[in-house]
Amino acid sequence: MTAIDEMNPEGVPRKVLFVAGAGRSGTSTMAGIASKLGMHVPLPEVPADASNPRGFSEPQWAVDLHDRLLKEAGVQVSDARPGAWFETGRISTREPARIRVADWLEPHFDVHPELVVKDPRLSWFLGLWRVAAIRTGAKPVFVTMLRPPAEVVGSKQKYYANKLGSSHLAASWLNMLLHTERATRDEAGSARVFVRYEDLLTDWVKTTMHVGHTLELQSIIHTRSDLIREVHRFIDPSLRRVSSSLEDLALPPRLHELTGQTWEELNKLADPEGDVTEVHATLDELRDAYTDLYEEAEAISKSSVVAARIAGARAAADTEPPESTGLADKIPHDLRAKIPPSVRRGVRRALGRERAAEPSTGEQ
Amino acid sequence: MSVPIGGGLGLTNIEGHTDFDIVWPWNQGPLRRGATAVLRVKNEAESMRFVLPPLLRACDHVLLVDNKSSDGTGEAAVAVAQAHGLAAKFTVKEYPFDVARAGAEHLAVPERSVHSLAYFYNWCFSHVRTRYSWKWDGDMVLTTEGEVSMADLCWQVGTVDAVIRFPRHGLYVESDTRAFLDLGLRNIEEWGFPMTPDFVYSKAPEWEIRTTPDEIRQFALPQGLVVELKYLDGDEFAHWTDPESFATSVRNRRKRREWLVFNALNNGEIPEGVTEINAPEGEHVIDYVTHTWLPRAPRPFVVDDPDHAKLHLRA
Repeated sequence: MTAIDEMNPEGVPRKVLFVAGAGRSGTSTMAGIASKLGMHVPLPEVPADASNPRGFSEPQWAVDLHDRLLKEAGVQVSDARPGAWFETGRISTREPARIRVADWLEPHFDVHPELVVKDPRLSWFLGLWRVAAIRTGAKPVFVTMLRPPAEVVGSKQKYYANKLGSSHLAASWLNMLLHTERATRDEAGSARVFVRYEDLLTDWVKTTMHVGHTLELQSIIHTRSDLIREVHRFIDPSLRRVSSSLEDLALPPRLHELTGQTWEELNKLADPEGDVTEVHATLDELRDAYTDLYEEAEAISKSSVVAARIAGARAAADTEPPESTGLADKIPHDLRAKIPPSVRRGVRRALGRERAAEPSTGEQ
Repeated sequence: MSVPIGGGLGLTNIEGHTDFDIVWPWNQGPLRRGATAVLRVKNEAESMRFVLPPLLRACDHVLLVDNKSSDGTGEAAVAVAQAHGLAAKFTVKEYPFDVARAGAEHLAVPERSVHSLAYFYNWCFSHVRTRYSWKWDGDMVLTTEGEVSMADLCWQVGTVDAVIRFPRHGLYVESDTRAFLDLGLRNIEEWGFPMTPDFVYSKAPEWEIRTTPDEIRQFALPQGLVVELKYLDGDEFAHWTDPESFATSVRNRRKRREWLVFNALNNGEIPEGVTEINAPEGEHVIDYVTHTWLPRAPRPFVVDDPDHAKLHLRA
């Protein structure tokens, strides 16, 4: 029997909810709630593990794509470089990537008109996904999760055995949040919402309904009673297992100050009617200040970069494989050069020795 | 190797109009992060309502330089910016000298004359206060995908020395409800440049050219992001000396194609590669093409010329 309050997806406009923000900020919880209330996470999902026992609500395809693109761009998930945004942005403009993402998205609308895409790497490729949504006739909408930076850093160190140090992690949090805010600013007012993880755990009903109404997500607004009960079973306030203060991180003074101020400003965006021009202007100043700080630190630490490059080259030379005795090496070089590249690729494919890197198709 | 013309404080003109001397922007104080679109316009009032709104939304600032328009282009532009609540991001300036038309007339004018396209462009861009700039035309309209792509690049580009190439398609407008889109020509030009002494304007045979240092990063955006408006009842070639001026070199290929399509459509023929588009009732055909038709068009676009297809896939 169909419940009388069940939403009929027919006639509901296509929408994709992108859940962004730094990893360990409650993105899985937000996406999980949206999914349980009736939105659709494209399958298959990344399986749950000890770091996220209730599941990630992440489409495996998106995670794999982001991993590949990040590798191609030379960018890490927790990359603190402001310049890294240009590298992932440049890749996001490539036509083959745009076609691939739009083609992947399209059939999922046959399952449901309102989709959820979430991955901690998503912020790096919001532009690519926004275009894919536009190409499939869907409206892209965004939720950015906010959690105190000290807790995010603490959680990453605890669950990811992160040896990178709190300064690096705080810097990458700043880079991620300041630029994610900028990347979604044009959607302010109607198509983006900032959500505090704490609010979600304290009163998920109020917080999620605010998201649903602001972004006009029909699945959330008209969700069924049994699904609401399911979310009540899903939400566990003890999920917020790490709690520490910014002082605990012992950051360098300017980084400490910038992190504290950025958190304060981002918090305002989560207040009712808080996503306003004055806050954006302050965040612009903070983004500039962070970029200046990073460039300064980069200039000072040049010797470390050069030394790391030398050490890397030495390590690579030490581990270089012995001379190949493969079939290709038995063919004289001048003869090998005469074989058309397409034939060489075909032979490599047939032998299962394809080269991992995709050819660059966008940059000329 | 740096570009000599970009060195020094700026440029003076041979006519001695000191009030139109140029001081390079980087000599006027620190440039802020972000990107400015610079439009040089003459009698483009009709297009402003289509061109400006997406451009103003995408860029940190838009500078429109009106070159002796007689149709109220400047006033129309200000009205559009105000109507969209974006006047704070918009500046209008006037350039009071006749500028040589592309082709033979341009070739005959000295580079440091106020009548030279190169001098005019350098003067326009000297008012930019951001670290990156977009050269834009008064008839170029961003599609929805173009708008969001440009908006991202404006903040992402930072201080990278990258030149960005934008593709565009001719949209020949017959009426408010019918237009013809030319997908038969693959036209990608350099539109995004950093604001540094290495990227300034100089003279080329038919028009101006922006200089670049030896090594730059360059990439092209995909097709379907911009249309260039051509009104079938307008004089679309007035900024050229004459049609013979674009029969001189391979650099003029685009102009020759536009001449062919424009005249064919006015004679009631639809050339190969051109698609007729009719807007649904109540929507202007330019809005329909840029908001719906092009963003939803299947990719990659079908093209008749295989060379064009290869170029497209590279982009």
